[in-house]
Amino acid sequence: MSDTEIVQNKSEEASNDFVEDGSNKLVVKCKFCGSKILEKKTGKFVVQEMNLPLMHQDTRKEGELQSEKITEFYHVENMYTFENIGFTLTVDNYKYLSCADCDAGPVGYYDMNTKHSYVALSRVEHA
Amino acid sequence: MAKTYDYLFKLLLIGDSGVGKTSILFRFSEDAFNISFISTIGIDFKIRTIDLDGKKVKLQIWDTAGQERFRTITTAYYRGSMGIMLVYDVTNEKSFENIKNWIRNIEENASADVEKMILGNKCDLDAKRQVSKERGEQLAVEYQIKFVETSAKDSLNVEYAFYTLARDIKAKMEKKQEASNPAGARSGTHQLRDERPKPTSWLARCSVL
Repeated sequence: MSDTEIVQNKSEEASNDFVEDGSNKLVVKCKFCGSKILEKKTGKFVVQEMNLPLMHQDTRKEGELQSEKITEFYHVENMYTFENIGFTLTVDNYKYLSCADCDAGPVGYYDMNTKHSYVALSRVEHA
Repeated sequence: MAKTYDYLFKLLLIGDSGVGKTSILFRFSEDAFNISFISTIGIDFKIRTIDLDGKKVKLQIWDTAGQERFRTITTAYYRGSMGIMLVYDVTNEKSFENIKNWIRNIEENASADVEKMILGNKCDLDAKRQVSKERGEQLAVEYQIKFVETSAKDSLNVEYAFYTLARDIKAKMEKKQEASNPAGARSGTHQLRDERPKPTSWLARCSVL
């Protein structure tokens, strides 16, 4: 979760279809139902490593949480910046973010200590 | 960052266990994400942005699921809430009778001017109905609270209910602002128009078909 600065430039290149002046160039929407999550330019692009549980868990693997490492996020300082979003109950000092309309998620997480939210670029649609 | 909205309202869903509060907030019951990670953990609250008469309004909607087992919600939970949805299940007589207890709980714990609305949920289950719509309306008249029957399952009247509650809170706030800002203090754009919704609309029908 630290070392944000070090890799910043490298990954900004990779995502610059979506990122302009350090924030989301386009509206951020749910991949599944199109519900609007963030207005343009309201999420600050950051690179940091975080393991996020998969949106579709394989239920055959009982009791085993499958997750993937995600590095590109939009940082949202104030939760009321979101247009539409769901917050789960707290798990280990985090809340997971979900689509307010179809409940798909996690599309990101909320840190209870800093009160900041992070939306994974790979889990949302840009339109 | 500059504030990007005009109003922020905190709303609570209150009522007996099993009346469908969570379904009103969380629609996972039958769709693809039923088995997802999110439904396993459960939703704490949602933020929704709506447009009310040209104003951008953020709603922060809290589920009280789990707490209602104690038949009471603590003062801490009510703190800062400006609107409360009182939910009962039309197929469960007891949950309807308990609305009165919930109102008492609100009166004891929430701020005195909190806006309230009664929702008779699960109105799609007509065959199992135990509480008629008329009784719901009567109760609403008795307490002078707005009422609507909803079906979270069919998304019937749910959005309408939130808009109605939000509009009432907004109207109340604007009235307060006007009272503290005597006439003339505000700009010339102010209108004396009545912005309340049409009086007939608050008893909207539960018409699934």
